[in-house]
Amino acid sequence: MSLLAIDRVSKQFGGLAALSDVSFDVGAGEIVGLMGANGAGKTTLLALIAGNLRPNGGHISFDGARIDGLSPSAICHRGIGRTFQIVRPFAGLSVRENVAIAVMYGPGGERHRRRAEEKAQAILDAFGLGPRGDDLAGSLTLAGRKRLEVARVMGTGAKLLLLDEVMAGLTAAEVAETIELVRDLKVRHGMTILIIEHVMKALLRLSDRLVVMHHGRVVAIGDPHEVAGSAEVIEAYFGKGRA
Amino acid sequence: MNRTAILPLVLALLFAAGLLLPALTTGYWLGVALTFFMWVGLVQSWVILSGLTGYLSLGHAVFYGLGAYVMVLTWGQMPFELAILSAGLACVLLAVAIGVPCLRVRGPYFVILTFGVSELVKFIVVNIEAGLGRAGRLIFGAPLIETLYYWIVVLALVATALAFLVSNSRLGSGLRAIREDETAAETTGVPVTRLKVIAFALSAFVPGMVGAVMVLRTTYFETIHVFNPITSFTIVTIAIIGGSDDVRGPILGAAFLMILSETLLVNAPEVYMIILGALLILFVLLVPKGIAGGLSGLLARRRREGAP
Repeated sequence: MSLLAIDRVSKQFGGLAALSDVSFDVGAGEIVGLMGANGAGKTTLLALIAGNLRPNGGHISFDGARIDGLSPSAICHRGIGRTFQIVRPFAGLSVRENVAIAVMYGPGGERHRRRAEEKAQAILDAFGLGPRGDDLAGSLTLAGRKRLEVARVMGTGAKLLLLDEVMAGLTAAEVAETIELVRDLKVRHGMTILIIEHVMKALLRLSDRLVVMHHGRVVAIGDPHEVAGSAEVIEAYFGKGRA
Repeated sequence: MNRTAILPLVLALLFAAGLLLPALTTGYWLGVALTFFMWVGLVQSWVILSGLTGYLSLGHAVFYGLGAYVMVLTWGQMPFELAILSAGLACVLLAVAIGVPCLRVRGPYFVILTFGVSELVKFIVVNIEAGLGRAGRLIFGAPLIETLYYWIVVLALVATALAFLVSNSRLGSGLRAIREDETAAETTGVPVTRLKVIAFALSAFVPGMVGAVMVLRTTYFETIHVFNPITSFTIVTIAIIGGSDDVRGPILGAAFLMILSETLLVNAPEVYMIILGALLILFVLLVPKGIAGGLSGLLARRRREGAP
């Protein structure tokens, strides 16, 4: 049973077709990797799912109900969370308050600030940010801020996590840690994950399936190792005549 | 002593002293204290919207003016206590009506829009009054200054309590999230539009009532005067000087402005605005979080250095 269903979705910016007829499903508990060159439309697709943008055509369903056209906060309440390619923590607030806001305004909607902060601290502890709770979010390293964005989504109680290049700009050691983190999200927290990533090693190790996009279209879907070696993918990345 | 207990204690002392003042003095000092608490009430209210969300309102004079207008229109027709409350509620309604369209735009556009809406309402009232053939309205039989003074102190207290409660609530966290990053906030489930309108409405309530009381103090209503944009500018100035993410800020800022205006306006009125302008620039450049924010930073640094 698919948790997220993307059905013939398209999006135009002026005359530019960023996405055309994109369709695929994400099953509950699955990690689906989204790959493609810059400009393929990966981040646009994520923004459509999270409600930051609205599609010009097609449907997006989550848990059996249409979500396209809903506001980002309404979509968050259905159980979808995202991180941002260029991180957007609440930089001037403490690390703990970043997550507490998610606990208070997510689908759980914890009304009491004190209890929300306790829950937030527990989430920070689970994600290795426990000792930084009182620090300003802006003072974290890039890896820390990316981790905080994941913790913030977990604070909302999301079922589906959309990760937009959480490994970009990280050191090799940090990438290894983040791969463990994402695997943990699936195995320990039962999350369903749609992940955009340029670090191939990470995608191959994490994904149950790969979706390859090129110029706003899906060109291949399937087993990561098969898809990554296919002619369409090599052509999408390196151009014709290389396969 | 527990640091969280100090602030409510100092605030309680301040307002208790304010309420006791008429027993000790009348005339000049009571007038100064009344102006001080008036600014506290206005700026605390403004902070609920602008301090927490970062949506800078340059139009809060519209609430002061509308409150005054409600008072003169209902003067003699209902008890003035009821008129004060009606003025506050009228301003809440106005805030919801103008908040829904205005809060869709961000940054400098919002600032200009609030200023424009304030001027628009002013000229609507100017035209209504002109159409009625009135150049101004006198209020006969206004309450004594002591009565008005108590009202203003209580309104300042209400605004401070409101700002404190909002700032420390779930709503306050949501508003700060909007200030930090509105896109991330709505993706985190914060209903940004609803929260901004609620904050705008809350920030309009006390200023409307303050306007209603203050027009009884001047006993004369002139549209241009009560909708004076200088009121909006002064609110922003006090908030910048005092700080706006903390209930101490507006109180410190208002106190600072009162000291400055009472010493300078008497002794050197010609340089008052120049010095105020220069101070504003210095604060924006050097102490962007105001006196309250600067003080907190200083204390935090000293604690860190003092710790072994």
